[in-house]
Formats: sequence, C-alpha cells, structure tokens
Amino acid sequence: MHSPDHDLCSDHCGENPTIWDLPHVPLGLKQEWLRLETRRHFLGRGVKALGWAGLATLLGKTAPDLLAGAAGAAPAPMPALLPHFAPKAKRAIYLFMAGSPSQFETWDYKPALAQMFDKDLPESVRGGQTLTGMTASQARFPIAPSMYKFAQYGKAGHWVSELFPHTAKVADELCILKSLYTEAINHEPAILQITTGNMFPGRPSIGAWLSYGLGAANDELPTFVVMTSKMPLRTNVQALSNRLWSSGFLSPEHAAVALRAGSDPVLYINNPKGIGADVRRAMLDGVNELNRQLFDRVGDPEINARISQYEMAFRMQTSVPELTDFSNEPAATWDLYGPKAKEPGTFAYNCLMARRLAERGVRFTQIFLRSWDQHSNLPNNIRTMAEDSDRPTYALITDLKQRGLLDDTLVIWGGEFGRTVYSQGVLRPDNYGRDHHPRCFSMWMAGGGVKPGMSFGETDDFSYNIAKDPIHIRDLHATILHLFGLDHQKLTFKFQGLDQRLTGVLPAKVIDAILA
Amino acid sequence: MAAAAGATFARAEPTFYTARVAPIFEKHCVGCHGPDKKKAGLRLDSFENVMRGAESGDVVTSGDPKKSELYRRVTLPETDDEVMPSDGKPHLARDEIRILEIWIAAGAAADKLLSEFPDAPAPKPVVAQVPLAPDWRPRAAEIAAVAKAAGVKLVPRSQIATDGLVLRTASAPARCDDGALEKLSPVADLIVDAELARTKVTDAGLKAIGACQNLRSLDLTRTAVSSAGLAALASLQHLEAINLTETRVDDGGVERLKALPELKQVWVFGTKVSTPAEPAKVVAK
Repeated sequence: MHSPDHDLCSDHCGENPTIWDLPHVPLGLKQEWLRLETRRHFLGRGVKALGWAGLATLLGKTAPDLLAGAAGAAPAPMPALLPHFAPKAKRAIYLFMAGSPSQFETWDYKPALAQMFDKDLPESVRGGQTLTGMTASQARFPIAPSMYKFAQYGKAGHWVSELFPHTAKVADELCILKSLYTEAINHEPAILQITTGNMFPGRPSIGAWLSYGLGAANDELPTFVVMTSKMPLRTNVQALSNRLWSSGFLSPEHAAVALRAGSDPVLYINNPKGIGADVRRAMLDGVNELNRQLFDRVGDPEINARISQYEMAFRMQTSVPELTDFSNEPAATWDLYGPKAKEPGTFAYNCLMARRLAERGVRFTQIFLRSWDQHSNLPNNIRTMAEDSDRPTYALITDLKQRGLLDDTLVIWGGEFGRTVYSQGVLRPDNYGRDHHPRCFSMWMAGGGVKPGMSFGETDDFSYNIAKDPIHIRDLHATILHLFGLDHQKLTFKFQGLDQRLTGVLPAKVIDAILA
Repeated sequence: MAAAAGATFARAEPTFYTARVAPIFEKHCVGCHGPDKKKAGLRLDSFENVMRGAESGDVVTSGDPKKSELYRRVTLPETDDEVMPSDGKPHLARDEIRILEIWIAAGAAADKLLSEFPDAPAPKPVVAQVPLAPDWRPRAAEIAAVAKAAGVKLVPRSQIATDGLVLRTASAPARCDDGALEKLSPVADLIVDAELARTKVTDAGLKAIGACQNLRSLDLTRTAVSSAGLAALASLQHLEAINLTETRVDDGGVERLKALPELKQVWVFGTKVSTPAEPAKVVAK
C-alpha cells in the first residue's frame, strides 16, 4: 500500500519475494523449503497426469514404482527406500517388557550376592551417585539377592533364572546383552527414549524410521504394528500411548497401526451393515477427490498422507480379517504357544499374531507387556509376569526357527531400564522390592543377523555399574538399523534445520561384536 | 602406505606395524594427520612420522600405552572434548584400540613381526564386494515392465547395484502363479532372493526359478510344490537356503537338493520329510 516514491525500507525484498530473496533465513531452511516445494509440485503434477489408478502407485512408494519412474534412463538413479547395504533382518519383533524387569531375577546372574543378604551396599560401589526419589531417603541400602535360582543352559552356557524354564530351552538362540544403560530414571522418559531415541515426546519410533527408510514389503498391511497385551496382574501399570509408536515429524503413514484385542482388531475398519465394498469404494473416491482439490490449493504433503491412510484402511478391510483368522493354524501351534494363545489380547495370542505378521512381511511388530515395575513384592509379581510370558516367548522363537523365519527376523526382548541391587522397602529372603536403576540393565536379541548363543557386556558384582562394554540405547538403535541394512548416520530427515536421526547427535556405534 | 608396499616386497612376513597398526592410522587418522593436513604438527602416515610426534611432543611412549598421548586420546570417552578422532568422526573399534595397546606395550617397534603378536585380535576377514548379480541399473526399464506384467515386485536388495533383486509377492501372493514366474525370464539372472511363500506356484513354475542362475535364497513355504518339481532347481549353483515349510516335499526331494554345491539350509517343517537329528531343519551339506 505504500506509495511508489516512498523510500524502500531496509528490509524490503522486492514486490513478490521468494524465500530466496529474504535475508537472515539460513540456507538450510531455504533448501528444506525448496525440497518440500518441489515435492508438492511433483506430487501435484503426478496426480493430474496419472489419474486415480496411478495415485495408489505413486503413494504406494515402493521401490518398483520408483524404478518405473526411472524408466529409460541408463543407468537409472538409485531409488530411495533401499537399505544402504544388504540387510540381515527383513523384519523385527520387539517384545517390550514395560515397567522394566529386574536384571537380577532374569539374565544377570550375581552368585556372590547370596552371601550378602541384608548387608549394606558398599559406598565404593555407589560412589556417591544420585539415587531416585523413591529410595533416596531410605536409611539403609540393604542388598537383596535374587531369591530365584539360576542354571546354565545350552552349548552357550547362558545362566538363566528358574523363572524362564521355557525360554531356557532356546538359550542357544539368544544373544544376551548385559550392559545396556540409559540416562532416564523414570518410566515415561525411559520408554520414550528406548522406543524413539529421545526422552521428549514427538520423535518417530524405531518402526516409523524403518517404514520411512525401507517402505512396505506388503502394501496390504501396515509396515509397523503395535499390540498391547492383557496383564496377568496390575501393579504400577505404565501408561502406554501412541507417543511410543508415532511417526513424529515423519509423514503420518509411518506411525504404527495398533491392533486391538477381540473381534474388531482395527476400530471402525469394517463397513457398517448395508454398506457394500463398492459403496465404500465410491465414497473413498469422493473423499479422495475432495482431498486432492485441497492439496492442489494448499500443497500440504500431509493431505497425501491422509489419502494414503484411507487407501490403507480400505486394503486392510480384506487383509486384516485374513490375518486375524487363526482357524487354519494346526493343532501343533496351540501345543506350542499354549491355550492362552486362543484368547485375544493375551501376550501368547500377540506372539502368535507377531509370527503371522512376520510371515506376511510386516517389518516391525512391537508387543507391549506391562506390570514389570516391582518396587515391592517383587518375587511374587515377577513370577506371575514370567509365567505369563515365558512359554509364548519360547514358542515364538521356536516357531520362527522351525519355519525358517528366525534367520531374517530379529527378536528383541527387554524393558526401559534396570533395577537396584538394594531392596526398596521391606527386605526378607522371600520378599523385597527394587527401585529403578538406569546405570545397567539386560536385554536379549535372537535371529536377524545377531550371533546366537552369545553374551555381551558385563556388570560389576552388584550389577550396579557396567564393568565391560557399555551399550547406550543409541548403540542399540544403531545396531538394529544396521541389521536392517541401514547406516544410522545416513538415515536422516530434515526437520527444524537439522538432519534428524533415530540416534540423535551424540556418538552412537553399531555393536560389531554381536553381528553374526 | 608407501612404506607398507616397500616392506612387504622385501620380507616374506610383514611387520606388525605394517600389517595391523598402519592401516588403523590410515583409516582413522591420516585425513587430518598426514601429508595434506598436519593438525598439531602431527603426521601418522609413516612409522618415522609417528615417532617424530606432534608440536607438543611425543605421542607414543615405547612400552607404556598409558603414558602415550596417542593412546590416551583414542580411549577417552566419546563425549570428551579431547577425544580422537574428533568432530564426530567414527571412533576406533575395541579391536583397533587393543592393537595399538599391545603394539606400544611391546616397544612400539617398526620391525617386530606379525607372528610376535599371537594374542592380537584376529583381523576381520576382508570380504571383497562379491557381485551377486549383474548391475541392474542399465535394465531398470525392462525390470519395471517385467514386474508389471507378472504382477510382482522386483526390488533391488540394497543400494549396492550388484546385490541383485528380491522377487517379492507378499502384497498379493494369491496372484503369483506359474504363469507369472514365466514372465520373469528376461530378468531371471538378476534375482537373488525369491519370496514365494503362500503363492500359487506349483512344480511346473519351478522351471522358471531354475533359470534364476544367481539365486541365493528361495522361500516356497505353503506352496503346492513337491519333490518332483525340485529337479528343476538342479542348475542353481549359488542357492544357499531353501524354505519348504508346509509343502508336499518328501525325503526324495531333499535327497535331490543335496547335489546343490552351496546349499546350507533346508527347512522342511510340516512336510513328510523324515526328520533327522534336529527336527524341522535339514542341513544338506
């Protein structure tokens, strides 16, 4: 509105400035804007040129489609959505033990503690480290040895607690990691850190990064599936939410689809009575057309994500009933997983579902089992949790192996941190509790290119500090990505002016020693 | 590395420095401490230069790793300001640190032989990048056309162009049948991994698979193939793994597979194959 003879202000950038004309905008942000803008134009043109038949292909974002796009060029440019190098793992099943099982009663055998019942934790071990608020005010820190016995199993000679008689039978498949550590001291930040690489909500989960980096192997099912399990007991239950399996700043189609227990595994996916598939298709075409018009106007890529979500839901109307129909499972399946596997929502049922998802090419399945947070009454409660999960865990490993799937399916078992050697609250030989302990904890992996029958990392005699080969959660993440053929330093997404990574900006390394 | 070449020429057995220590410097250090950049006046591109040290003094104290500045720097915590390599470059692996440690502890000598360090961590076998299949890129258009005609996906296995293609059918296994496989023949030599579980493939379709001369892995889980069809796979000289779970294959079929030179794993869960020592898995070699 200013008059033409008015002196131009010092920040005047021309009548129709583009972002390139603006001063003080960092070059990185300009480039990010250009990238998004280019993508908008590309997708916009693509939609117009290809019509609806082509849209699904374009949004299906699979490598062959990209190959088609490169037709005629020789040599063709390398398409995106490919591993950086040949992967060992085609898929992973992550058994997430939310609340954090104690390492003392599971995988980190500390025989010397048996002689130290109710003795004070030596000050030299703690070394003045801060304790959590729940036990910092205790007058004493009395040592609580595991009340459960351990024995060695397999050629590997893994020490396994008597709580896991079934898993012990597949000890030779396990690569036990005893030296994980984290900075987070409470559940929510700790679970976020191990599922998304960051204690703050809003980052993409591991499965979302894999979906972003590798695309789908099966277009009819989600690339990333989450299941929560019925709890055999309810004490100190952790809140789970889609923060833990979100796509964060990645496009929304990379978020997990959470399968529910029961007759309606994906809510609202079935057509209402009286609505046939053709009517649904016509309706979706109409909605897609409206979304397309909006996209043409505002060019927001999230609109295309929305369209692809509608299309995925439509495809899941046929793929999910087939997936969740267990009627064709032979009797041997039920003998293996146990009777609880017939009850939707149990951990056993979810393990069987995970095998069926793996067979169908779903890249990342995460099963949550809660109630491992045993601040008190630990011996009883951990036994209940182990009884619920031990046999299905063994069954899953065994089933994957006999079907030839274990070689390229990575199975991961673990919680978000460790627990204290000293008892929280009352200490009796058969009753005690353990507080949170981020300085060391145990996990295991099996299959998927990890060395079977291996043990890696060591803690001190009190499983208080790490004695050898510390593994930060970043290292765990770098290793998981590596098994999928991805270099964690190259799998990036530009956001807020940074090349964001699952492993963040602090040093992270692949644990070479455990690679088969 | 010029010194390394000279040394190996003159001697039957290389020195430990040449074979194990110099490659670590070359990989991690010489970019900043070499002929191009000489940060802190330090060059690590020859034994003499290592011993010459930096502006601030020696970096190696013979016989004492703990007193060697070089060793101290590479073993600092990764978040330490003084850690080397700096600027977020990958740090030394444990084996590499161990090699520097035992070399310095043994006197940091130029002429000690490889055999004088029997406890050194074993070198990682150098896996040459063996091409699994021809470069697919010149044939991208053909691959796309074949995949479309056959109704399957043909996906490069990785960004390494000679890693071959995966034949993928998981989206619609019921649509992949013998006819679809026949259409793959123009690109058969590129396929290294055939995922055919739960497809409609039968014995007749295995002829097309037999033409995939670079195939490493074949999954026929829950298909109608039988022992008779496996005869068509006799030409697969590189096949390493075959999954026959819940197929009609029997002992005769497994016997036939034993002729394949590279085959290491055969899965026969849910078949009539009489199970040897380890159930569900037959090691055919």
